[in-house]
Amino acid sequence: MKIDELLSQPGEWLKGTGPEGDVVISSRVRLARNLRRFPFMTVATPAVKSEIARFVKPKLSDPRLPRKLAYWSLEDLPALDRTLLVERHLISREHAQGEGDRGVALGADESISVMVNEEDHLRLQVIRSGLQLDEAYEEIDRMDSALEGSLNFAFAARFGYLTSCPTNAGTGLRISVMLHLPAAVLAKQMDKILQSLQRLNYTVRGLYGEGTSPLGDFYQISNQVTLGKAERDIIAEMKKVVPEILKFERFHRHKLLEDDPRRLEDRVWRAYAILKNARRIASEESTDLLSALRLGVNLNVITGIPAKLVNELFIYTQPAHLQRIERKTLDPDERDVVRAEFIRRRLEGL
Amino acid sequence: MGIMICEKCKNNQATYHLTVIEKGEPSELQLCESCAKQAGVSVKFDLSIGDLLGSLIETAAKPPKGSQVRCPECGITYAEFKAKARLGCANDYEVFRSELLRLLEKIHGSTTHAGKSPMTADAQVKKENELNRLKRDLDGVVKSEDFEKAAQIRDRIRALETELER
Repeated sequence: MKIDELLSQPGEWLKGTGPEGDVVISSRVRLARNLRRFPFMTVATPAVKSEIARFVKPKLSDPRLPRKLAYWSLEDLPALDRTLLVERHLISREHAQGEGDRGVALGADESISVMVNEEDHLRLQVIRSGLQLDEAYEEIDRMDSALEGSLNFAFAARFGYLTSCPTNAGTGLRISVMLHLPAAVLAKQMDKILQSLQRLNYTVRGLYGEGTSPLGDFYQISNQVTLGKAERDIIAEMKKVVPEILKFERFHRHKLLEDDPRRLEDRVWRAYAILKNARRIASEESTDLLSALRLGVNLNVITGIPAKLVNELFIYTQPAHLQRIERKTLDPDERDVVRAEFIRRRLEGL
Repeated sequence: MGIMICEKCKNNQATYHLTVIEKGEPSELQLCESCAKQAGVSVKFDLSIGDLLGSLIETAAKPPKGSQVRCPECGITYAEFKAKARLGCANDYEVFRSELLRLLEKIHGSTTHAGKSPMTADAQVKKENELNRLKRDLDGVVKSEDFEKAAQIRDRIRALETELER
């Protein structure tokens, strides 16, 4: 698989059309694993990193794995392509900007990926569209067990899987649900949600994980506790929490419709008007406007625009995607022009 | 992953890692700079910091017991771990066991794994379970003065302990 193929066919999960897709963008699970016989990444020398990469590459490329993976060395990829992988949520920003021999093994539909030599030796990830936590976990569990057949993971009965940072020890399982919460934001109810989630030991982050601020009303909710609970229990708890937030968001969406429909319509149609006509647009603005448009589409305030198209626009209007589409490096000013043009073209004739 | 958030304001990144002694029990506390200052951390040794959990505070500069110990495999000390918030190797979990138990309790509210085990670890987990069961059995058998049975159990315990040490 070539990077260009990533552009031509958006991954399955990016369509944003899974269960509860009006609010839940994606369900993501990840497992942190380290190899017993190598030191962790913080003390691994460049030579050790290369040895780890050489050691795991054939195991990750084994055709007998439950999903066929293709391995890429990040050192061989241009910076722009590494950023593209970040924009697709296939690798972390830290991994893209990291140093030394490191890589990523990808499944064909982008729903599964394994980062090599990130914070831990291996970081397995499965993403599904909408709310599909059980399905995502089943898939990652199968891959993990298959890899255990050929790799000796660092594990202790007391502490579980041993990870570089103790915050991941035990199951090494982090589940993240990406939510679109525009009505809760408009109703100024986000603080309430954030506080309750924190009390329940969940962390809330922006679109691109740690350290990123919420953009376009997207929030990523993750479990903090990885030790002392079985994987199934961690998932079962998240499955109790998410519906409560969905109920809350939907309640406020309908309240917006009932209390002041003109105001909501105005907001959605103005967003559409700008997106359809702008000659240059920065990514913060396009993300905000697309967020309003997405809300309008989900509430049938505006019709004839497929939800899938709106979801794709979020992905394709990111800096690295625009530059790959244009096949040239663009400075931020040029990107704003290209972004506006790209959005106009996609909304044309609808 | 793994940036610690200040436990007081729950907002900023925690850059101060304090050992708090409360009722003679040490525990870890992660604070951001401004909360740490509010708590009087930079003020030498202020024993009147009653507002912060009503506890005495030791600055991280005063190393807790055992922090000079280096892991023989990766060479890091517990203080170096705290500075980076990343461990150097799997062996650190044994070398810094007591410090990590406190930290894990703080982070996860638990110190014992309850999830999946790799196939290779399965056998070990079973052995540890058997060991714990035999030790309990041994107490009972000794009380009932069944010394022949007790000797058998002791042999099995020794064998298991040798296997687990490998």
